[in-house]
Amino acid sequence: MSRAETVDAEHPRIWAVVLQREVRDLWTGGRALVMCLAFSLLLSVIAYLVATNTDLNFLEQRESVSLTLQVATAVGALLALLVAGDAISGERERGTLETLLLTPAPRGQIATGKLLAALTLWLASFAVTVPYVWRLGSGVGIVMEALAVGLVVGTLLAIFLASLGILISVFSNSNRFSLSLSLFVLLALFAPSQLPSSAEQGWAGNLLMRFNPVTAGEHFVGRIVVNGHSWSEDISWLVSPVIAAVVFAALVPLAAGRFISLRGGVSG
Amino acid sequence: MTPVVEANGIAKLFGQLLAVDDLTVALEAGEVLGILGPNGAGKTTAVRMLTTILAPSRGSFSVAGIPHTRPEEIRRRIGVLPESAGYPGGQTGEEYLTYHARLYGYGAGRAREVARSLLDELGLLERARSPISAYSRGMRQRLGIARALVNDPVAVFLDEPTLGLDPAGQRQVLRSVRTIARERGAAVLLSTHLLNEVEENCSHVLILNRGRVIAEGTVSEVVSRAAAPRRVRLQVAPEEVERAAAALAAAPGVGRVEPAEGESGWLRVELEANGHGNGAPNPNEPIRALLDAAIALRSFEVDGTRLNDAFLAITEAS
Amino acid sequence: MTPRRHALPLLALAAIALALATGAHAASSPAGFSATVDRTRISTELGRTFVFRSTIANEGAAADDLIAHLNIVSLRSDVYVDPEDWSTHRTRYLGSLAAGGSRTITWRLKAVNSGAFDVYVAVLPRSGHARRPVTGPVVAVAVAGRKTLNAGGILSVALGVPAVLGVLAVGLKLRRRRA
Repeated sequence: MSRAETVDAEHPRIWAVVLQREVRDLWTGGRALVMCLAFSLLLSVIAYLVATNTDLNFLEQRESVSLTLQVATAVGALLALLVAGDAISGERERGTLETLLLTPAPRGQIATGKLLAALTLWLASFAVTVPYVWRLGSGVGIVMEALAVGLVVGTLLAIFLASLGILISVFSNSNRFSLSLSLFVLLALFAPSQLPSSAEQGWAGNLLMRFNPVTAGEHFVGRIVVNGHSWSEDISWLVSPVIAAVVFAALVPLAAGRFISLRGGVSG
Repeated sequence: MTPVVEANGIAKLFGQLLAVDDLTVALEAGEVLGILGPNGAGKTTAVRMLTTILAPSRGSFSVAGIPHTRPEEIRRRIGVLPESAGYPGGQTGEEYLTYHARLYGYGAGRAREVARSLLDELGLLERARSPISAYSRGMRQRLGIARALVNDPVAVFLDEPTLGLDPAGQRQVLRSVRTIARERGAAVLLSTHLLNEVEENCSHVLILNRGRVIAEGTVSEVVSRAAAPRRVRLQVAPEEVERAAAALAAAPGVGRVEPAEGESGWLRVELEANGHGNGAPNPNEPIRALLDAAIALRSFEVDGTRLNDAFLAITEAS
Repeated sequence: MTPRRHALPLLALAAIALALATGAHAASSPAGFSATVDRTRISTELGRTFVFRSTIANEGAAADDLIAHLNIVSLRSDVYVDPEDWSTHRTRYLGSLAAGGSRTITWRLKAVNSGAFDVYVAVLPRSGHARRPVTGPVVAVAVAGRKTLNAGGILSVALGVPAVLGVLAVGLKLRRRRA
């Protein structure tokens, strides 16, 4: 059997090969660890400021746990988005994309492997958050509930945003453009959460909050952690994060298979 | 023998710009085809079409009998060293090759074996565990060639493989090119702007200019078809240089005449195709002209006809 | 027409008027309703959940569409109470209650403020003229404060986690440099 025939016969799962390589490059290369360190410093400052306020009443402590979770979700998703935004446009800039495209590896699987690798940043961020939430939340008995809701909502948002980052990266000719656009989109999604609560009351405000996966997810976290609602009471707020995660994650291999090329955009 | 790489009239349009037009090529196993052309001639575009990175706007091609409409299958059979290949600095040479071997479908253990074997073949085994960021330019090119061989390809495409290398590095790379064709039996397409590389390593040459094929064939076929002006150098007494130049300029079949700078008494003469006989340049014409002018000839040299001359003549004419 | 003939329509009209008047009272004011609680004093700590039961009894005619609503009042002016924070199910729709019937409702609350509070249940019909609620007895809730945050505890996490990650990052960098 010639070497070429042997190659065809073995055929490992390409997305797993890419995932393994990307995770190694991210973590043993040190880039991801430095991001997590920066993230932990941010959380430390927030947690310490919150914890040293001894006049904190019960509800405000719940709000502190909610704030910590929301910071974790936002920054964890941001890290996943940044890594994903570099996935294809970064390879293009570094000149390594062509050799990747010259392999028979299905392009959709390459993109899927990179998406999963980007999500490890979210999982690591969440792991870093656990001791903070445990310390802040154990006094009010909401640790497990807070961690559960943070994990679910954060994972959905991370999948959505990382997928969006990959899609932007496929179509961007430069890494600078890809990362700028990704950050802009992230800010635009988080912006409605800064509106006054009265703005959310009308049907338009309510629709905006529910339609936007980021604000819907944050709202859900708040209801569970701060207001002590059960999951089933506010489950409708999870609809847009779930749909966004599923739809955008499904788009990644489809768009990558069709549109990845040496130059950003549709290949000639 | 069925060609390993066969292209029929492939062309590439970028908007209104015709980057490559009507390229037809047939390359057999063990052959080395050199693609020559000035900057912007379309060499890299041609290579990218044949390696499925770019889809042709017109025409068709096949590799190992696989039509261009099945690019993933073609990619399984070819190896490519792109012109501007980048390398992940944080990975070692062994990690890099192992990864690419796995992308071609090898299992983890086999991929590592293949990687180490290729590193050994290309003289990089000692630096297998060093990060690529520590490799010299020549080592990176050899790593790139190793990567192009990871799937034991039937056709290998090398786009400017000696770019930026010192002469020793160039020699090493070109030796590998010959080995690929001779020992592996692969068809090799070598795109370069270095004419001596093509002369020394290629059995066939194809000259591109402004996207069009302007000459193709064996090296000697291309050279003789080009009817390149040959050059001769003549030495006369220093005081006779002016008279000799006038006599030569008036002679038939003689083109430009100029004194050789820094060389007293020497004249450089370009010969043109004459209107007599077979039309080829006649190196005897300058000698006849000097004899007729009663100017003593001290020395006479003929510049060998090189691909370099043919290339310049052909590209300038087109 | 004879007087006897006039009496019948008049009697009918009076009966109808009487029925209407009685029905309106019944619909508009749950007179005959009472709300009782199983305990009137509760002591708890900040953050703890406590439970009490109120029983709505109908001592009058059958009533439709009743609502029971929970209210919480702080007895200290400097303590702000948002009842939604204490309980997410403050309003219970009881539907109809037959004459002589009763319904027991369990109220589950979380003490989210410390201090002294009065908790009471109001029962009212959903619709009708001049609706008047009936309130049950007040449940006096005393919530003791407790320190739920330990600044020293958070310091160990705030310093420890970045320290561990920093050591890992430095170790990795040294390992790469050696390689």
